[in-house]
Amino acid sequence: MTLLLLLFIPLAALLALPLLPDRAPLCRRVAVAAALFQLALALLAWRWPPADITLPWLPKLALTLQLGLDGLSLPLVLLTALITAMALLSTPADQSRSRLYFSLLLATNLGLTLAFLAGNALLFVLAYELILIPTTLLVASFGREQRASAAIRFLIFNAISGLLLLGVVLALGWQHPGGVSFAYADLADLELEPKLANSLLGLLLLAFGLKLPLLPLHGWQPVTYSQAPTPVAMLLSGAVSKLAAYGLMRFGIGMLPEAWLFWAPWLAAIGAVSAIYGALNAIAQTDLRRLVAYSSLGHMGLLALALAAATPLSLQGVVAQMLAHGLIIALLFCLVGVIERRTGTAAIAELSGLMNPYRGLPFTMGLFLLGLMAAAGVPGLAGFVAELLVFEGSWEAFPWPTIVCLVASGLTAVVAVRLFNRVGFGRLDNDKADWISTTWPERLPAIVLTSLVILAGIWPQTITGFSELSTAGLALRQNQPVMAPLLAATAPASDPTALELSA
Amino acid sequence: MTPTTIAATDTAAEPLIPPSNHPYADIIHRLEAGGSMLPDSEENLTQIIGIYKAYAVPMDFYWRNLLYIAEQVFLDPLPAFKYFISQEYLDRPNSYSGDQSKLRIWRGGEKAHPELLEFMARGETTAMPKILHHLWHDRVNMEFAEACMQAMFWHQGMGGRFNDYLDSDAYRANADRAILAYFRGNPLMLGLYKLFPEMMLEKVKQLSYYANLGLFWEVMAPVFFEMSDIYEEGGFKGVPDAMNFLVNGIFAVAGRPIYHHVFINGECHEIIPKSEGFTWLYEAALPYVEAVFYRTAPFRGTKSYNAQAGQVPAKQQDFIYGILYADVFPVGSAGIPPTLLMQDMLHFLPAELRELYKQHKRGESDQLIQLGVTFQRSMYNVTSAVIQALRCALLYPLDDTDPTHLLANRQFFEAQMDRFLCPEARLPQIQTADYR
Amino acid sequence: MATILETAKAAGVFNSLLTAVEAAGLTSALEGPGPFTVFAPIDDAFAALPPGTVQTLLDNPPQLARILKYHVLVGALSRQSLLEQPEWSSLEGAPLPIRRDDPFEVKNATVVTADIACDNGMVHVIDRVMLPG
Repeated sequence: MTLLLLLFIPLAALLALPLLPDRAPLCRRVAVAAALFQLALALLAWRWPPADITLPWLPKLALTLQLGLDGLSLPLVLLTALITAMALLSTPADQSRSRLYFSLLLATNLGLTLAFLAGNALLFVLAYELILIPTTLLVASFGREQRASAAIRFLIFNAISGLLLLGVVLALGWQHPGGVSFAYADLADLELEPKLANSLLGLLLLAFGLKLPLLPLHGWQPVTYSQAPTPVAMLLSGAVSKLAAYGLMRFGIGMLPEAWLFWAPWLAAIGAVSAIYGALNAIAQTDLRRLVAYSSLGHMGLLALALAAATPLSLQGVVAQMLAHGLIIALLFCLVGVIERRTGTAAIAELSGLMNPYRGLPFTMGLFLLGLMAAAGVPGLAGFVAELLVFEGSWEAFPWPTIVCLVASGLTAVVAVRLFNRVGFGRLDNDKADWISTTWPERLPAIVLTSLVILAGIWPQTITGFSELSTAGLALRQNQPVMAPLLAATAPASDPTALELSA
Repeated sequence: MTPTTIAATDTAAEPLIPPSNHPYADIIHRLEAGGSMLPDSEENLTQIIGIYKAYAVPMDFYWRNLLYIAEQVFLDPLPAFKYFISQEYLDRPNSYSGDQSKLRIWRGGEKAHPELLEFMARGETTAMPKILHHLWHDRVNMEFAEACMQAMFWHQGMGGRFNDYLDSDAYRANADRAILAYFRGNPLMLGLYKLFPEMMLEKVKQLSYYANLGLFWEVMAPVFFEMSDIYEEGGFKGVPDAMNFLVNGIFAVAGRPIYHHVFINGECHEIIPKSEGFTWLYEAALPYVEAVFYRTAPFRGTKSYNAQAGQVPAKQQDFIYGILYADVFPVGSAGIPPTLLMQDMLHFLPAELRELYKQHKRGESDQLIQLGVTFQRSMYNVTSAVIQALRCALLYPLDDTDPTHLLANRQFFEAQMDRFLCPEARLPQIQTADYR
Repeated sequence: MATILETAKAAGVFNSLLTAVEAAGLTSALEGPGPFTVFAPIDDAFAALPPGTVQTLLDNPPQLARILKYHVLVGALSRQSLLEQPEWSSLEGAPLPIRRDDPFEVKNATVVTADIACDNGMVHVIDRVMLPG
C-alpha cells in the first residue's frame, strides 16, 4: 500500500494542478506538500519496510506492476522525494505558467519514483522513457536563451539511451527460459552465452553511459544543465542521473555479472578519464553553471569506477556517492541559482567579492564553499564518506584508475579554491552590487541540503546504512583487508580473472 | 548690429574669467561660488551632520586615550592596559570646549561626553567590569585611532616642521632624558636602550604622533558636537554653511600649539615643548588630512596587492587608500580600520540616520556600509573646508575682482581636483544621491 | 628717523600688529639694529581673520611669533630690490613669494604703501595677514 501511495501522491497532485488557478504560490504549495508527503512516506517505508506488490498490468507483454523496496532503491526514492521538494522550494514565487511547470516537475518525480520502485525491467524502461518527456519539456519551455538546442540535444541523447535500454531489456526478457519475463528476480537467474552477455552489457553500458553521462557520451550534459532552470538542473543532476547508476547496478552487475567482469576494466578506465576530464574542465569554465555541470561529470566518473570494481565496499561507495552527489550537486545548483537571481549573472569573470559581509551574498557564498568542499571530498562532509568508500573499495581492483580518480578529486579542490578566490573574494563591484540580501525562504532548500551534507559527513551511517546488505549481495569481488593491496600494489590487480568471484 | 547689443548687456553678468575646462568643472565652479565638493541637498546635510555627531563621541575617547598613551603609558614595554584610560584623562577638560576653555566659541561640556560614558559603562552588552568589556571587544575601537596615527607616522613628510623636528638633536636629547627617567631602576630596559637606542627613539617618535593626533582631535570633537547642536537648533541652511563653520573652526584654532609632554613620576618632561611653535594647522591638521583622507595604506585582510606588478604606487605621496578613495563595501570585514570606525559610530548614530538607513538598500542589515558612505560624504565636506581654508589663507577671497587673483584661485582648485581624477576617487559617486 | 616699531605706533593703523608683537615677545628683537624688512598688516587685515584666530595666537606666544616672523625678512629691502627675486626666505623659514610688481603683491597680500624707511629697516604696509604654506 505504501508503495502505491508513493506513486499516487505525485500523481494526484499532478492531476489536481491543472484544475487550480494558475497562481504560482498556490501551485507551488500544492506541489511542495505532495513532495513532502511523499518524503514522509518514504521515511516511514525506511522504518517499516512495506511488502512488495505485484499486480498484473499487461500480461501479454509480461508487464506487471511489480513494486518493491530494497537497500538500493530505498535511498534513491528518499533522494528523489527530497530533491523534488528542494527543487520545488527553489522555484521562484513568480514562476510563469506555474501549473504546467509544477505538473512537469511532479511528472518527473513520478517517473523517477516508479523507476526506482520497479521490480520489473520493462516497468523500469517505461518509467525511464516517461521521465524523458517532462524533463525535455521543462528544459525546452522554461530554460534559458539556448533552451531549444539544449532540449534537442538532451532529447536525442536520452532517446537513444532509452531505445538501447529497451532493446537490451527485451532481449533479456526473451531469453528467459520459462516464457517471457521481465521480473528482476527472473532476469538475475538467466544464464547467457558469454558472447551474447558481453554484447548486451556493451549496449547497456552505452545506454546508461549516455544517461549518467560518461565520456565520450556526455555531449548533452553541460549544455542541458546550464540551460535548464535551476530547479530542473537540481532534479536532473541530483536525481535523474542516478537512474543510470542504479540501472547499471541492477541490470549490469545484477543480471550480467560475468560480462560485467569483462567490461569492468574498460568502465574503470572510462570512469577515470571522465573524472579527470570533468575536474579539468570545471577548472577551465567561465560560467558557474557549467562549472558545476563539469564537476558533476567528474563525480559520475567516480561512480563508474566504483561500479566497475564491484566489491562490497565499492558498491556501498556507489550508493553513498549517489546520495552524496545528489545532495551536493542539488545544493550547488540551488546556490548558483540564488547567486544568479541576485547578481543577474553566472559568469565568473563578472562576479567578485560575494563574501562581502554586508553587501555581498555571504550566506549563499559560504554554503557554496561548503558545497564545493564537500564535492572535493573534504572530511566531515558527505563527499568524503562516499569518496573514501569508492577509493578504498576500488583500489584493489583498479589501482591506476583509482589513483587517477584521486587526483581528479584533488582537482575539485582546485576548482573550489580558484572559484572562491575569484567569486568569493576580491572587490565587490560598487556599481553592480545593488541587490538585496537573500531571504530565508530562498535559503531554506540550501540550508536543508547543507544540513544533510554535514549530517552525512559526521554520521556516515545516514548514507551507507541503507544498502550494506543489498550491495554485499551484488558484489562480484571480495575486498581484501585494507592494507593488503597497498602492500602488494605491484600485483597485476587490474586483471579481473585474477580475482575470485563471489558465489 | 544686434550681436553687439547682446554682448554689451551681457558684460555686466559675465564672469571675470572663462569657465573651467576641468573634468570636474562643475565642482570647481561650485567651490568658486563658496560651495562644497558635496552637493548642497537637505539629505546630504542631514547625513553629514548626523555622522559628525556619531563621530564626535568616539573621538572624544580617541583624543583622551591618545594623550593618555603619549603622556602616561609612554614606553611601557607591556602596554596591555593602554586603553584603560585613567579617570584623570577622562575628566580632563577639553582646551576648546567648556567654560574653562580660553576660546569660548564652541559650547559643550569640559569633560567626556555623557553618551560616551554611558557606552563605556554598558557597551553593547551590559554593565560589567572594564576588563570583560575589553576582552569581549565591547568598547571604543582605539585600534582605529592608532591606525590613523600610524598613517601619519608612516607617511611623515607632509608639510609642517613636526617630522623634521623628530630628527633634530634637540628632540633626541629630550627623548633621551625622558627614556632614562622612565626606565630609572630598570636595568633590563636600560640595557636594552643601550643596545638599541634607535629602537626606543623610534617608539618615542611614534608616541609623539600619538600626542599630535590627540591634540588634533581634541579640537575636532567639540567642533563636531557644536555643529550637531547648531543643526538641531536650525542653524545650518545647507551644506555650504556646515563647510564654512568648519573653515572658521580651522582658522580659530590654527595657532593651537602641538607638543608632546610626558609625565614620569609626576614630573613633566617636555619632549616637544610648546615653545617650538608647532601649530595645529601646519603640524597636525594638514598632515592628518593628507595622511588619513588621501594616502594611508592598504590595510590587511581584504585584498592582496602585488607591488611588483605596480599595484601599489612606488612613491608614498601617490598612495590613494584614504577615505576619499576608499571602497566602503569591505566595511564589516573583521578588524580592518574602516570596520572599527563604523562600528564605533554605529553606537552613537542619531535617530534620523537610523531611520534614513532603514529606508535604503538592505535597511538595518547593512547600515555599517551606508554609514561608511555617509562618512565618506562628510569627509568630502571636511576636505572641502580644508581646501577653502587653504584658499582663504594662501590665496584670494572668492569675491575678489582681480581676474589674476581669480585665476590663481581657479588653478588652486583645479590642482586640488586633479587629485580626484583617478578612478578610485569617490568624488563622482558622492555627487549622486543613490550612492549609499 | 624712527625705529620700525616707533613708525608703526605713529601710523595708528597697526594696533593689532603691535599688540601681537608684544605678546609674541618680539619687541626687543624688532627694536634691535636689524636691519629688517617688515611687511606690516594693517588692523583691518587682522580683523578680517575669522573669529578666534587672533585670540588663539595671542594665547600662544611661540605660535604667534612664528606667524609674525613670516612677515619679516633680513635686511632692509626696498620694493625695487624685492622685485629682483621671485622668492625670499622669511625669518620664519618658509619662503615668501613676490607675486607681482604692479600692483605690488607679496604672496597673497597687496602692498598698500611700500618703502617706509626706518632706522633699523624697511616697512611695507600690506592689506592681509600672510600665512606660511
